[in-house]
Amino acid sequence: MFLDSDLLLSALRALTPILLAALGGAICERAGVFNIGLEGMMLMGCFTAVATSWFTGSAWLGVLAAALAAGAYSLILAVGAVTLRGDAVVLGVAMNLLAVGLTGFLLRTVFGVQGTFDDPSLAGLPLVGGFTPLTYLSWAAVAVAAVLLSRHVWGLRLRGVGEAPDAAATLGVSPVKYKYGAILTSGVLCGLAGAQLALGNVTLFTENMTAGRGWIAVVAVMLGRAAPVGVLLAALLFGLAEAAGFRLQGLGLPQQATDAAPYVVTLGALFLTTARRRRRIRPSGAAS
Amino acid sequence: MPRRLRRSLQLAATTALVVTTATACNAAAKKDASDSASGGSGKSFTLVTPDAVGQNEFLKLAVSGIKDAAKQHDGSQKVYESTDTASQQQNVQAAVDAEPDVIVLVGFEFADIVAQQAEKNPEQQFLIVDACTTKTYKNVSCAVFREHEGVFLAGAEAGLLSKSGKVGAVDVLDTPQFRRYSDPFAAGAKKVAAKTETSTRFVGGQSPFDDSARAKEQANTLLSKGYDQIMAAAAAGNYGVFEAAKAKGAYAYGVDVNQCLSAPGTVVDNVIKRTDVAVEKGIEAVLTGKTGTTVSYGLKEGGISLTGLEDGVDSSKCVIAEHKDVLKQVEALRDQIVAGKLTVDDPAAS
Repeated sequence: MFLDSDLLLSALRALTPILLAALGGAICERAGVFNIGLEGMMLMGCFTAVATSWFTGSAWLGVLAAALAAGAYSLILAVGAVTLRGDAVVLGVAMNLLAVGLTGFLLRTVFGVQGTFDDPSLAGLPLVGGFTPLTYLSWAAVAVAAVLLSRHVWGLRLRGVGEAPDAAATLGVSPVKYKYGAILTSGVLCGLAGAQLALGNVTLFTENMTAGRGWIAVVAVMLGRAAPVGVLLAALLFGLAEAAGFRLQGLGLPQQATDAAPYVVTLGALFLTTARRRRRIRPSGAAS
Repeated sequence: MPRRLRRSLQLAATTALVVTTATACNAAAKKDASDSASGGSGKSFTLVTPDAVGQNEFLKLAVSGIKDAAKQHDGSQKVYESTDTASQQQNVQAAVDAEPDVIVLVGFEFADIVAQQAEKNPEQQFLIVDACTTKTYKNVSCAVFREHEGVFLAGAEAGLLSKSGKVGAVDVLDTPQFRRYSDPFAAGAKKVAAKTETSTRFVGGQSPFDDSARAKEQANTLLSKGYDQIMAAAAAGNYGVFEAAKAKGAYAYGVDVNQCLSAPGTVVDNVIKRTDVAVEKGIEAVLTGKTGTTVSYGLKEGGISLTGLEDGVDSSKCVIAEHKDVLKQVEALRDQIVAGKLTVDDPAAS
């Protein structure tokens, strides 16, 4: 009755954009770059996807353009934080603000409308088995990222760069190259997340349509401790909590209470994971 | 370390600069004063809009309202289009400097700006449409709408058209003001089909006005339970609601302007605000000395209506155009409300 297939479908639809962005965030985190610009990169992806799909008539070109545009946008962080050694947090916040202003400005100049661009003939992504192909791609990306990070030489070097950049450099691994790679990958993944949101979840562009999903992805990175599978579980938890929150409204709970569902779940999960971690650490601490 | 700090500060400053220049491009106030020939009586009116008029029907109606008022009073009119908060302020200041007989402002965005200006310029008459200042001023008149009356009629249409006997609404937030778009919808449906089941979902979340994906999921939870008529009062989320309804072959109802064009065959009707009526009648009241009052416009005054009850319904692309029998019953209900025989409960009444 409450836990039916609709709930799961709704949770999986909410999951995809968050998961793609969070995977990008996790890769950056592993390379030692704290990326909080996910929201802004995702929004750039949303706009580029819709604009390209509208002018070319192909949703797939929209997806491609979104990945490229958000990848290019992520260069702000790469150049700023890696080459110029700026503060990644300051840069991330600026990128988020810039994306809102820039997409709003472009919406006005390119489409001549304000707020929302929506047209019945805008081409969206096709559904395969109830989901967009990007949904399946996001699941595959989790597996690929997990294997690369733990088994492949690239992943090992990336983690080395993140944990001890100087040591990595002495071994001939260029931290700059790996950090650039991680940031650009996160940009491409965020672009895909934006395309999924604007051409998959809905088929339109609204100013600020990411509505905090990039921030939830940042939290998912931290909750999943930057491991691809952990991030998947954290993002899935959010998706389920949100979908369940919608259902609770149907049972008569006030909106203000159901809105809190994802945050209550986050706090609970944080509490549980840290409690377990502390229990594991304590015995060795007592011995020393 | 200091060098690093200086670098990051530098960087932060440059990015901040880029951000401000990007937004500054928007800030260029667009003031295309469409001067009409100055008339004999010398009455002058200025309309300040919160956004560019463009294809915004809500604002287009306000512009035609002020043009009609100028014609009626043999006077002149100007329209100042704003594009953002900064240009709203500038435009109101420019309007005040020109000292027209009445300055008309559309939208809640102007409530605070007008409060300041009204205190500084006690001789200047202001008319705010679709909002009001929190304090009352002798020189500020307000025109507000009784949206709930129109929503009730839309609910009646839904009650008559529903095959499953379940009608729902997707609303922005659970507050009395927004409940004006959902509670009367349920009441209207129950008025024509007493057994109708009703339910409301609120979008909520971090940005309830922009999150169309979330609004779509909220609509989906109603649709999966068999609701086949959905009132969409979710601001930008409306487009998400329309997509959800279209995918399931259900029907939706829009607000403020004719939204049938967004999803022909899915949107049945819209609760529209006739800003032109409010502007025209509001100016009339100010000129006859009735200032500093708040007047509400509903079905009776012609300030609230449905697309289906207006001229041009056949070319509106609204589903209701194919249901003349339903429209007849809705017209009868409207006449009862206008005659005062039927009152619609206002959720925002305190």
